[in-house]
Amino acid sequence: MHDMQILKSKQSDGAGLLQRFSLETLQIGGLALAIVVFAIIVQMNFPVFLSLPNINVMIVNFLPEAIIALGMTIVIITAGIDLSVAGIYPFSAIIVGLLLLAGAPIPLAIIITLAAGAFIGAINAFISNTFRVHPFIATLAILLILRGVNIIITGGSPVSGFPETFAIVGQRGIDFGTFLLRYSVFIWLALALLIGYLLRNHRFWRLSYFIGGNRRSARMSGVNVERYLYFVYMLSGALAAVAGVIVASQFNAASNSYGQNLELRVITAVVIGGADLNGGAGSVLGSMLGVLFIAMIYNAFAMSGISTYWQDVVVGAMLLASILMGEVLKRRRAN
Amino acid sequence: MTPVLEIRRASKSFGSHRVLHDVSFAVYAGEVHALVGENGAGKSTLMNIIGGIHRRDAGEIMLNAEPIDPLDPWQARQLGISVVFQELSLTPNMTVAQNIFVRREPTSALGLIHWRQLNDDARALFERIGIDISPTELVGNYSVGIQQIIEIAKAISFDAKVLIMDEPTSALSESEVDRLFSIIAELKQQGVAIVFISHKLGEVLRIADRVSVLRDGEMVGVVNPSDSNQDEIIHMMVGRSLGDLYPAKGVVSDEVLLEVEGLSHPPLFHDISFSLRRGEILGIAGLIGAGRTEVARAIFGADRYSRGSVKLAGIKLDLKSPRQAIAHGIVYLTEDRKVMGLFLSMTMRDNIVSSSLARFTDALGLLKHRAIADESLRAIKQNDIRPRDDLLSMTSLSGGNQQKSLLAKCLSANPKVLIADEPTRGVDVGAKVKIHQALRDLANRGIGVIVISSELPEVLGLSDRVVVFREGHVSAVLDGDNIAQADVMRYAVQ
Repeated sequence: MHDMQILKSKQSDGAGLLQRFSLETLQIGGLALAIVVFAIIVQMNFPVFLSLPNINVMIVNFLPEAIIALGMTIVIITAGIDLSVAGIYPFSAIIVGLLLLAGAPIPLAIIITLAAGAFIGAINAFISNTFRVHPFIATLAILLILRGVNIIITGGSPVSGFPETFAIVGQRGIDFGTFLLRYSVFIWLALALLIGYLLRNHRFWRLSYFIGGNRRSARMSGVNVERYLYFVYMLSGALAAVAGVIVASQFNAASNSYGQNLELRVITAVVIGGADLNGGAGSVLGSMLGVLFIAMIYNAFAMSGISTYWQDVVVGAMLLASILMGEVLKRRRAN
Repeated sequence: MTPVLEIRRASKSFGSHRVLHDVSFAVYAGEVHALVGENGAGKSTLMNIIGGIHRRDAGEIMLNAEPIDPLDPWQARQLGISVVFQELSLTPNMTVAQNIFVRREPTSALGLIHWRQLNDDARALFERIGIDISPTELVGNYSVGIQQIIEIAKAISFDAKVLIMDEPTSALSESEVDRLFSIIAELKQQGVAIVFISHKLGEVLRIADRVSVLRDGEMVGVVNPSDSNQDEIIHMMVGRSLGDLYPAKGVVSDEVLLEVEGLSHPPLFHDISFSLRRGEILGIAGLIGAGRTEVARAIFGADRYSRGSVKLAGIKLDLKSPRQAIAHGIVYLTEDRKVMGLFLSMTMRDNIVSSSLARFTDALGLLKHRAIADESLRAIKQNDIRPRDDLLSMTSLSGGNQQKSLLAKCLSANPKVLIADEPTRGVDVGAKVKIHQALRDLANRGIGVIVISSELPEVLGLSDRVVVFREGHVSAVLDGDNIAQADVMRYAVQ
């Protein structure tokens, strides 16, 4: 709907467009438009792009990063950053796998794994709060530690051979014959809708915007900022664990090699989606579109046979373009 | 009648440093009670104790004759004591209504916000204080002056019985001050007790019903503005007579140093012409937004101009950057020292030499540390910056001493022309006098000084001539010893 309106008013009156829509709407609208245009161009050259099997491939790549991006969005809104997700993601895949192999019941194994993810998030918040270090450093340290731990506990080789029923989470779904709508898609959708809605409308969740916009002001308004950050990083850790559980189920295996550079891809997606690394701005819808866009780019390149080294060039250029667009819009609006 | 808020014999020390000693203070419903004193006199500490930021060591706080003990600002607000702090505590990226009611939004049982109710509440609040601000606009889109008013609206939205304002006018233009004062009058009518902290005695005398004076942590006295005057209050504040508030005017040579001709940059300023002579202090008066700072920045090369010329000692300059301006001997003392002028996290020494580093580097570009240390110690002595430790970080200095450091930084570049934009904003009377004297000393040494100030008495007291700006134009150039405040005001607004 918005896309149509944006297109129409762009032709008639650029200034009116700036006034009629918020910065957020414009950025998300622009991104949605870019996705549609990109999809059309790729589809015209590679008709297999939007075929059901390829969409399935894209979903598999999209889901874990989309779920992690939900947490990252809130982290970035509070002017923080969480690099450790790229460590928690394989870590939780491994943990849930080891628990299952040790004979733990599936629900218990999942619950313990999610708790472990949240616990690592709590460590992030603890380090950053207590020693007043930037979350970049705190979560980088945890990421490095987890990378090592992941190799140590697996000996560097994948863990596999989980019980049959565990595959339900990531492999089964509603079967439409030619297309399998996986249950994991519903997990992602439910989380995204819930978090997106709360972030817009819930008093407690909205505090993240105040903390990121002006931490001092949040404090003056009686917000216990430190305690809130525990919540934020624990949520981010737990969501990374959800993604880890899903991927373990999907491949029926867990490896320390999962999620290479995932932290940077997720941050890129969230920023392309309109979040501000200085805090105070960001949305679930924007972040989801950002992840979708990046997933599409990587998929398109993998399919096209053009050297995959170009995909990073394109993603980097897109990141720059979206930041520039945000800046230009902000300035035009200020004048 | 019992006072709404009463402080009984409060004392507070930080370590061995006694900040408040046995201070008593009372404010009644519907009263505007001004609290004045030099920086460091203990005003902020007193407010922080009342507002729940610091705990007192001794004494009592009574609210409607009940002893209270606020533990944090939030709790103080719940009790009905709202402090509007000097630095704005709003979040620019959120709407006005969201800012005002953060954590108190009307919600459903699940915590989901009722947006319409929220905006209606904000509207009702603005109606109560008689202003028209859109609750759904982002705070960042409003000027600092309006933000100050939003801040006050937020403060009273807690059903404040006592409203404490710390330097509320420091960033406001004259018309915004008038608006603020009419809001204060409105709140007074509604029986709110108001504590008004300000350096600007003119404003204090205009708005206050009573004035309490703090000096060195002790309450020196309470006066009634109708049977007191500025001189008496200043005398109480500093414990000594300052003599003439402004330094004696100097001898201005006829030699034109800086000539600005037909400078234009629509829509900010149009056809600006004036000249500055050697040894002269040229005041630039006008309302905030009249284009004064914009012209100064254009002269300094920080912004472009589209037409006109700037000549220094008869030679036309075409400055493209502040760096070139400094090389030509034009320095600009910025309006907002925290944002543009000083590197707060660095030492006083680094700051003082930061715009004249070329003088202190050798052929390879390496710093001459000994020469830098000598220069900074000399500058500290010359400008009387305290404490005399140039390795302290700027953040540990008071506002007045920060301002003096900024002045020292400008001087160490050996300027021919100094443009000082609001040089005494937010500093106390004692430091103000020293800054005025320092500016006059510079003029006496043959430097041309341009002073931009929103405080009329300052412009008039300090300047040899006054250029008045109105809406981007020069509306008058006034000369002579006896320029009347009313004249300047007339040219500034009509």
